Order: sequence, then structure tokens, then C-alpha cells
Amino acid sequence: MNQTRLTEFSLLLIAGLVLLNGFLAVMLASNQFNYQSLSIVVGLIIGWMVISLFVRRSLSTADPVLLPLAVCLSSIGLTIILRLRPDLFIPQVMWMTVGLIAFALTAVVFRQIEVIARYKYLCGITGIILLLITIVFGVDISGNKNWVILGPIRFQPSEFAKLLIIIFLAAYLSERRQLLTFATRHYGPLTLPHPRFIAPLLALWGLTMAMLIIQRDLGAALLYFGTTVTMTYMASGRLSYVVLALGMFFIGSVACYLLFPHVQIRIDIWLNPWADPTGHAYQIVQSLFAFGSGGVLGSGLTFGYPTVIPEVHTDFVFAAIGEELGLAGTAATLIAYILVVYRAFRIALISPTPFTMLLAGGLAIITALQVFLIIGGVTKFLPLTGITLPLISYGGSSMVSSFILLGMLFAVSEAKAANED
Amino acid sequence: MKTNNTHHKAIRRNIRNAALFSIALLVILLGYVTYLQVIESNTLAFNPLNRRTAAAANKVERGQITDNQGKVLAFSELTTQKEYRRKYPYGAVFAHVVGYDSPKYGKAGIESVYDGYLSGQINPERRLGAISQLFKSAAGNNVMLTIDARLQETAYRALGNNRGAIVALSPVTGAVLAMVSRPGFDPDSIDAEWNNISQAAGSPLLNRAAQGLYPPGSIIKVLVAEAAMAEHLANSSREFNCTGKLKIGPDYTLPEANNRAHGKINLTEALAVSCNVTFGQLALELGRAKMAKTFDRYGFSQLVGGDMPDNLPKLPDFSQLSDGDLAQTGIGQGSLLVTPLRMAMLASTFANKGIMMKPYLVQKITAPDGTVISQTAPEKWLSPVNPDLADQVARMMVGVVKEGTGSAAAIRGVQVAGKTGTAENPHCAPHAWFIGFAPADNPQVVVAVIIENAGSGGSVAAPIAGQILRQALR
Repeated sequence: MNQTRLTEFSLLLIAGLVLLNGFLAVMLASNQFNYQSLSIVVGLIIGWMVISLFVRRSLSTADPVLLPLAVCLSSIGLTIILRLRPDLFIPQVMWMTVGLIAFALTAVVFRQIEVIARYKYLCGITGIILLLITIVFGVDISGNKNWVILGPIRFQPSEFAKLLIIIFLAAYLSERRQLLTFATRHYGPLTLPHPRFIAPLLALWGLTMAMLIIQRDLGAALLYFGTTVTMTYMASGRLSYVVLALGMFFIGSVACYLLFPHVQIRIDIWLNPWADPTGHAYQIVQSLFAFGSGGVLGSGLTFGYPTVIPEVHTDFVFAAIGEELGLAGTAATLIAYILVVYRAFRIALISPTPFTMLLAGGLAIITALQVFLIIGGVTKFLPLTGITLPLISYGGSSMVSSFILLGMLFAVSEAKAANED
Repeated sequence: MKTNNTHHKAIRRNIRNAALFSIALLVILLGYVTYLQVIESNTLAFNPLNRRTAAAANKVERGQITDNQGKVLAFSELTTQKEYRRKYPYGAVFAHVVGYDSPKYGKAGIESVYDGYLSGQINPERRLGAISQLFKSAAGNNVMLTIDARLQETAYRALGNNRGAIVALSPVTGAVLAMVSRPGFDPDSIDAEWNNISQAAGSPLLNRAAQGLYPPGSIIKVLVAEAAMAEHLANSSREFNCTGKLKIGPDYTLPEANNRAHGKINLTEALAVSCNVTFGQLALELGRAKMAKTFDRYGFSQLVGGDMPDNLPKLPDFSQLSDGDLAQTGIGQGSLLVTPLRMAMLASTFANKGIMMKPYLVQKITAPDGTVISQTAPEKWLSPVNPDLADQVARMMVGVVKEGTGSAAAIRGVQVAGKTGTAENPHCAPHAWFIGFAPADNPQVVVAVIIENAGSGGSVAAPIAGQILRQALR
């Protein structure tokens, strides 16, 4: 066993201890222990070891920290789901299993990364179609119209669309890089390329505005928009795009604030939740109480009252961590995310081609933004937006797409090694 | 290949910038979460809108509140939903002292002030997180009051359907032996009847004994008498001439009750018959500064503090008083407003050799296993007057009951000291007051009684005070 494999294997074992410890703590504190669920947990831990051995057969030098960080974060998530909604524990274990398999498949498929770059328009169009499906056929579940129901399956296409759109952007931007960098047209203080070249970016802006208006999905809109803008900057190095984009987004947001009451409410409860603490601001106020009551070490698993927050197991799962695990838990979680983002950027920096650099950079950015938006939202640092906390919130679409994202990064990190050796 | 490399370098530089930016965002967020959970932690955790403390309390058997003999005044009962609910066996009798504990309307009285002990949440282990669960006890601590339930019941019944209040103290320790306010309310029905109770015309939620503000009327004359003797304006030989009215300036006259002239009398006789002319004149002779100083000496300008839910008396701005108003203050009228508790404390000073003890309601707090967590030691609050002078005032107060307006408070075989008051007020009939203590030579109990709009202190309040003193000495 080489050094990389050994590192990954040991870290996966530690993540296994995190899950086992969390599982036993919840089960024993609530007197619900049974061997059946214990065997499921042990099976899951063995499962991710097997996945590691499997991917290492073809990707022997890929980043050894990504998978352990992912399963560690998922373990925190599983523990909290078990505590909050024991009925959703088995489904979440199942989604994680699907996610692990998706991780392995993606890692193998994305070894052929340059082949995939050739199908960039297919990726882009599929991504946009997925988004349009959500916008047109979206069903409103707990405030956000980002669900699609197909027979027995309901999922959030936007979780997958974001990956396809990042692939498209990475390919498109790496090709048009020079055009974007050496812009020829001057508009006042701004220097921009011919509109033809930034048309796809404008289209994405329009799409995000549509998401904001039709779907009321401020979080996803911000996420797509922020990722697009940052990737454009990474490709071109031009801050003028960022300034322009921020200006456009600001104008769009102000218009939405003035036109749509639901946007207004979101902003108003962010500015002053204490004006209506039992009405519109109930969730955010209860979430703040959860963080306060948790303090440094938390109340202990099962000894807090996180269930007074509606939908705590999805959007507000971080508040439950804050209450029962305290700052110890929230800081550990945040640091784990920071490490994921750090590793992702590191992969971007040592990638061989502009496409892989931008791809890894885009995946890093979207992860960072998603974590920032949702944790900022539930702590009242930012206005609240309804998006999931990757790997921790309950939900299949989010879990599987997060593992696919990591699988892509994993494959890219191997590509570097192949090139440098 | 070289141009390619420079391009790669440019992209790497941009990615590095983006990385620094986004990691900085997350680090700022980490700092903010730390701020929330460390610095803002207590503010948020103990915000009244945070239902967690209440929810946690429902899972713990809240401690009992008992009287000084161990009679249970409040206890918790397990409901069918496996949550604890509070029960108050004495109903309205203890409503103002014990207070209430309602999931909807919060807490009041001892239930509120000692909530941390009763709910068992005051424990140094709170900061230990999950480990604190190991140290947690299943029940809260018990609180034992200084109040004697039998005396409290006597006082409650004695008030009848009148509005008013009674306070009984031990002058030696400051322990409150009874504290009653009427109209009352049933703390058991606070959830069901909240709107009726909180909006009733008689303000049943107000604890009149410690918070009701009334003009003291003639009972304040004991304080004026003490001040006059302390300033050598009066002694056993000085005689005052009461003509039935006191002319002040060109256009103001302080009348005697019923315009009756007392003739030539000394200070002891003047107090016994409650002569307005004498005390109005003494107030004028003392002057604004010395009157203000006297009220300050007796603590009228500071809160009692501790576990006493008292209201600050309302003193006139002495420097701005006209002569007429100054004379009015000397007989307890005008803008001076006091609480029954303060009047009991005033009487206790003369009963206790010039030392005013700090009144307190809680005797001790014990853990469920009987361990004493805290015990209240009697504490001196003020010593406004020397023992000698205090004794002289006490003897004069004996005269009030023996052969003056307070004869209705007399007890056979026991010397009672007292002072009656009939306080004029803008709302129809005067308030009837009585303050006193017994036995006069070795005071065990001090009492203050006020009956709102009931007539004269001598005929209405004094017999009630006698009843309380008798029960207390039994």
C-alpha cells in the first residue's frame, strides 16, 4: 500500500469512528439502540472503505483527503438526522450509499476529462434544460419551487444542473479566454469584448433572474450567478466583469425587492428579525436562540430543543449542530468545509490545462458559495436563502450531486499527477 | 508552449485570488459563528422568547415552595403528557408572594425571582456541554419562605372583600411573616382567566403590600415625632396649643379632624389623639431640609432590594413645597405616597431599638436531598435613630393603643404599641391605616394594615391589626 492510499485509508477509519460515535451517542441517549441499525452503520463504513479501494485501482495518486472529508461531513449529517428525524435515517444512509457509488463512477468516468470537454454544449444545454424544467414544472415544497416530481421520484434538478453548467463554463471560458482577456470595446470606464462573446454569460444572468422571480429561489440564483461571475474572472483576470455583474445583479435584486413581497419579507426579517419574532422571523429567531443556547460545548446530542425550528433537518441543520454540539461542532464542520474548498482550489492550481483548472476552480467556488450562503443565512449574517448544506442536510439530490462534484475533483486531481510524473 | 505557460500562470494567479477571497469569506463566517456562540450566547439563550429554558423546565420536577413550617404552597404535578404543571393549594391567599408559573404568561413573585433554583437550572455545570447531563438532578430545589401560612390566612380573611393590604414582619430579623393583598387571584387559573385577571378594575395582579402607593395619613406622625425630639423641638415638658385649626400664611388653614380643639397638650398626648395642628406645626418648625433628611434617614429614597419586590415611595420635592404643603406632609397628606411594607418597616425600627432590618421572604433553599443550598441571615439595613429615642417613640405608641385612637387594637394581657391613620385621598372615602407591634416591651411582630376607602383607621384598621397581632402571638 503506498503512502497516498494509507493516508486515505486511515482518514476514512477516523471518519468511521466519527459516525460510530455519533450513532451510539444518539441511540444510547434516547434508549432506542438496536443491532439492526448498528449493522447498517458498520456496513456503510465498510462500504466507503470498499469504494476507496475500488477507485484507487485506477486513480492511485488522486487527492487522499477529499473522500475522508466528505464522509466525515456526511457522518455529522447522519448523526444529526438520526437525532432529529430517526425515520429519515435509513433513507439518508441509502442516499449516501448512492452518493458513494456515484462518486466512484464519476471518478472513473472523468479520467477521460478532455473527452467530456468536447461535449461542452451538450452539457450546457442539458444543464439549462434541467433548470428550465424546474422553472416551468417546478413544484412548491416548503417555499421553494425547485422540485420536480416524476412519478414516484422527486428531485431537485438544479442540484445536477449546476455541475453541468460548471463543465460548460469551464470549457467555454477556457476556449474564449483570450477574447475575454483582451477585450477591445470600451463602454465608459468598462472594457468589454464584443457582446457575441459574452452572450452565454448574459443568458445565464437572465436565467438566474428568472429563477429568482419565478421560483423565488434567491439562494440558487445567487449561487449560479456568483459561480458564473467568479469563473469568468478566473479565466479572464478582469475585475470589470465582476463589477459589471455585481451591478447587474444589484439592479435585478433591487427591482425584485420593490416588485415582489416575498423578497421584501426576506430582506426585512434579515435587517430586523426582532420586529416580528413570532411571525415571519420565527425560524431565524429560533435558529439564533439555538446557537446561543448551544454555547461553546452545546447541550449534548438529544438534550437540546432544535425541533422548535421548522424544517430543521434540511435548511436549518446547521442550527441543530450549533445547539447540541455547540461551537465545537459548528467550528469543526466549518473547518471541514474550509478544508474541502482549500483542497479543491489546490487541485485547480496544480491542474495541467486551463479547462481542468477552471473546472476544479468552479467546483471549489460553488462549494464555498453554497456553504457561505446557507450558513450565513441561518446565522443571520446574510439574508436567509433556502439552499441545502452540502453533505449534511437531508435530501437525495443534494447528497448525490455533492458526491458527484467530489468525484469530479478527485478525477481532476489524478489528471495532474499523470501529467507531472 | 511558452505563451501557453504564461497564460496558465495568469489563470493560476486569478484562481489563487478567487481562492483567497472565498476562503476569507468562510473564515469571516467562522469568526461570526464564534461571536454568536461565545459572546452572544447568554443573551440569546436567556431571551424571554427562547422557549428552550421553559421546555427544559417542563421536564424537571420544579421544587416546592413552603411556608416556615413546611406547609406546601406550590408544587409540581405530572400531567398525562408527561410534563409538569404547577399547583397552588392555597389559591389566592399566597398569590402575590408566591406568584405564578404559566407556560403562556411567564412567571411572577417567588416563582420568578427564584426560578433558577426552583427549576434546578442554576448549576455551575451548564458550561460543560454534554458532560453536564451526568450531574443533572431530576428535581429542582425547594424554597422555604419566612411566611407563616396560618397568619397569612388570618390576614387574608381579615381583609374580607375590601381592597387593601397587610404586612407582618419580625422586627428583630426582618423576616416577613405575612404579606397579603386584596383583591387576589387564583394562580391555578392564571392560564384560563388571564384576560379577566389582568384587566380587572381592582388590579388583582398588583401586590399592594409591597407595591401599592398610598398617602400614609397620620401614621407618619411617629416619624415626625421622632424628628422633633431628635432636633430638640419637643420634649416631655413642651406644650402645644391646639385651637382646632392651624393658620398658615394669609390664606391657608390646616384643619383638625372634625374641627375639634385639643387644647393644651404635650407630644405624647398629641400622638395619642393624632393632633393635626401639633404635627403640622412641628413640620413647619423642622423645615424643608430637616424633613427631607428625616425621610432619607428611614430609607424612603432607596429600594429595599434583595428578594423584596418593592416600589420606591414617592416623596415630595421638599425644597419646592409651600408652607401649607409642608404642614400637610407632616400629617401624611399632600403628595407623599408610601407602601404598606415601608410603614411596617418604620414601625419595626421603633420596635427594634432603632435598627431597621432588611425585610426578606425566603428562609432557606434546599436541594431535593435536603442539603441546605442557602440560608438567609438577618441583615441590618439602616439605623436611622438611636435606641433611646426609638424607645421613647415606642412608649408613645403604647399610649395610642392604651388611651388614644388605636384602642381597638388592644389585646388583653399584652401591651400593644400602634398608630392609626385616616388618609384623605382624591378617590372618595379615606384609607384606613394602622401600624403597630406587640408585645411592646419585647416586640415579636410588627404589622401594617391598610384598607382602601374604608373610613377611619381607629375603627376599621385597628381591630384588624389587633386580630393579626393576637394570631401572631398565639
